[in-house]
Amino acid sequence: MMINLLLFAAGLGVYAGYGISMVYLLAVTLAGYLAGRLIPRHHSVMWISVVLQVLVLLLLRVRNWLPWPPVVAPIGISYFTLQIIAYHVDLYRGKYEPEKNLLTFGLFVTYLPHLFMGPIEPYAGMRAALEERKISGDSFLKGAVRSLWGLFKKLVIAARTGVIVSAISGEPERFQGAFALAAMLLYAVQLYADFSGGMDIVLGVSRMLGIRMSENFDAPYLAQSVREFWRRWHITLGDWLREYVYIPLGGSRRGKRRRFLNTMVTFLVSGIWHGGKYLLWGLLHGFFVFLGEKFRIGSKTLNRIGTFLVVSFLWSFFIWPDTATVLRMAGSVFTVFNYDVLLAGIGGMGLSGGDWIVLGAACLLLWMYDWKSRALKARFCAFPTAARVGVIGLLALTVLTFGRYGIGFTASEFIYSGF
Amino acid sequence: MRKKRGKAILSTGAVLVLFCIALLLISRLLEPKYMTELEEGSFISQYYREAGGHDVIFLGDCEVYANFSPLELYRDYGITAYIRGTPQQLVWMSYYVAEETFRYETPRVLVFNVNALRYSEPVSEAYNRLTIDKMRWSGSKVGIILASMTEEEQFLSYVFPILRYHSRFDRLTREDFAYFVGGKENFFNGFQLHTEVVPAGTLPVKKVLPDYRFEEICCQYLDKLRLLCEEKGTDLVLVKAPSLYPYWYEEYDAQIKEYAAEYGLSYYNFVERSEDIGLDFSKDTYDGGYHLNLSGAVKLSRYFGNILAEEYGLADHREDPELAAVYDKKLQKYDDIIEERLREQEDEADRQGTVDRGITGGINGLRPGSGAGAEYQYRCRQPGVCR
Repeated sequence: MMINLLLFAAGLGVYAGYGISMVYLLAVTLAGYLAGRLIPRHHSVMWISVVLQVLVLLLLRVRNWLPWPPVVAPIGISYFTLQIIAYHVDLYRGKYEPEKNLLTFGLFVTYLPHLFMGPIEPYAGMRAALEERKISGDSFLKGAVRSLWGLFKKLVIAARTGVIVSAISGEPERFQGAFALAAMLLYAVQLYADFSGGMDIVLGVSRMLGIRMSENFDAPYLAQSVREFWRRWHITLGDWLREYVYIPLGGSRRGKRRRFLNTMVTFLVSGIWHGGKYLLWGLLHGFFVFLGEKFRIGSKTLNRIGTFLVVSFLWSFFIWPDTATVLRMAGSVFTVFNYDVLLAGIGGMGLSGGDWIVLGAACLLLWMYDWKSRALKARFCAFPTAARVGVIGLLALTVLTFGRYGIGFTASEFIYSGF
Repeated sequence: MRKKRGKAILSTGAVLVLFCIALLLISRLLEPKYMTELEEGSFISQYYREAGGHDVIFLGDCEVYANFSPLELYRDYGITAYIRGTPQQLVWMSYYVAEETFRYETPRVLVFNVNALRYSEPVSEAYNRLTIDKMRWSGSKVGIILASMTEEEQFLSYVFPILRYHSRFDRLTREDFAYFVGGKENFFNGFQLHTEVVPAGTLPVKKVLPDYRFEEICCQYLDKLRLLCEEKGTDLVLVKAPSLYPYWYEEYDAQIKEYAAEYGLSYYNFVERSEDIGLDFSKDTYDGGYHLNLSGAVKLSRYFGNILAEEYGLADHREDPELAAVYDKKLQKYDDIIEERLREQEDEADRQGTVDRGITGGINGLRPGSGAGAEYQYRCRQPGVCR
């Protein structure tokens, strides 16, 4: 009880730093709690709740296109809104009883580690995690190594790739062709290292507190198709979309055409969730999910490379500011042949030779970890305590030495905390 | 079972100790050593080897370590002095450096260069580092960090230098390995030797300031410094080292004079006394009038040494065999290094063919004299040639 209260206070305390957003968070938490209590008896409350929350989310997504004064979106709104919607829909479906304890519900919404970038935890899972919370030396060590691994991804890999991506994306007229391709590939690495690194920190810190949360990544760039990619990337969002959009629309049970339509609508919703300018990105993903089913090559390696290239290409929508630029830059990859000056050009973009060596080694390590993560985790768990502490120490030293942080470096927030 | 647990705790403890050692070693490797580049950054740490027994301690910014030569004070008057000046040492820094100095020794006179009073805010993180990084841990170091940190800085990065210097991993030089343990000895007691000559030229326009009053924080720390000296029985002497720029405004000067009069302190404005000292800014500066070179420092030290000896009755230690042995060795090294620098300059000038060798017997005329008070005169026809 006491720890729950502390965790709740910590979430609100940190969120208080975001000013007026705090009022919205408190209001939506209280409203979500009260609505939850009413839904079993008054089903219409669920519809009101869902419509209102979707409306708020939609308005925030398209706010830049409206003739209103600028409105700041409360940070993390995309995550806690989806959680509350899921909770209300589940109550409507009679999956479980409404939460009576306001503190437990409050913690479900405002739990600090996942407040800003997920994972989008189902209520049942969060409640079970809180009830089964158990702090032990073992969970602490596992959590510590996980958090440090997340910091490694963020500060050693994402921070370096970000330097090049920012330099290229900042001057779309100047850097096209090979540079655009390099930006796409490096951004794919940056986004994965940044987002999954953030998740590792969230899950690691939670584990240190004895709380097990849902995984959000499972080596996504080892996927052999775009469909498989979405089973491995941002898993909790994928689960949410399947559970509360795709299946209610009929899923795959109503014929091929309907399945295609449902898939496209689901990816369209995914695009909207990311922001107004990602509609086409969402639809293209839906399209490639189907295309991947039609065109499958025998070689696993080629499938993986193909999937990585397609996904990287589609990340263009996250790199450049508008769809027109994205299409122009994507097209330039095939029309502007400046591959001969790529290395010289990238060499002067802010990373030293040492940085490139570190980046290369770190990416290799990340790839090897993703490839053998289960075996490596099992091996780590089998280590005696001293050896595990040694691994943590080694990782800490690596991050401290090779991380890009502190004075002289631009501190960047996690990319997905912006959604 | 208990035995097994004990073993696990022991081995975990050993791993933690290993981690701490590795952290220390990596930190040490990554920290700048300030031995060949930015050697001013090592002045603070070099003092600890020689702490104790000084008659005079100088505090302040570059205007003290470039303008006063303690070895000349010894050569001419037998005064033992040490300069604890660092680049852009602000008044609160001087206070904490003084506080730290009193842990090691209680000098008869503490000379504070008042130029720093014009600055009421930390100038930059880089300057802070040059003063603070190499200080030994004590309450004074904690105080100086807290008083000096800029907004971008974090206290923790002073505790764990790796947090600040980790990005040097790919810029390590031979110096980082050569001085991994220990550092160079400072033979000059905190003095930075410059033998080059760059005559004063056109100086920046003298700006009219909206307000000439020293900020409250500067006055507070000057008070603290004065009270600290009173408590330790040390005479606080205020000086303004001679320089043509940045301008030492009359309004500044008046405030210091008033302060000195109020508390019975001595204040020497060497800007005003440049003529008495014999300074010639066409010869006695290495950077166009901002700081003195060796020639100027010799003149100023001789002038100020006379004041220190007469006004404060500082003993002549040249007859003390123990001290004489130490200082004779220092002087020998000092003169050797000057000789070497001048020879290098001569060779460089020869290569460039721009030095007038006919009037004073060439650069050889600038050699250190054999006895006390020898005057170093050197000249260079074109500014910047000898740089």
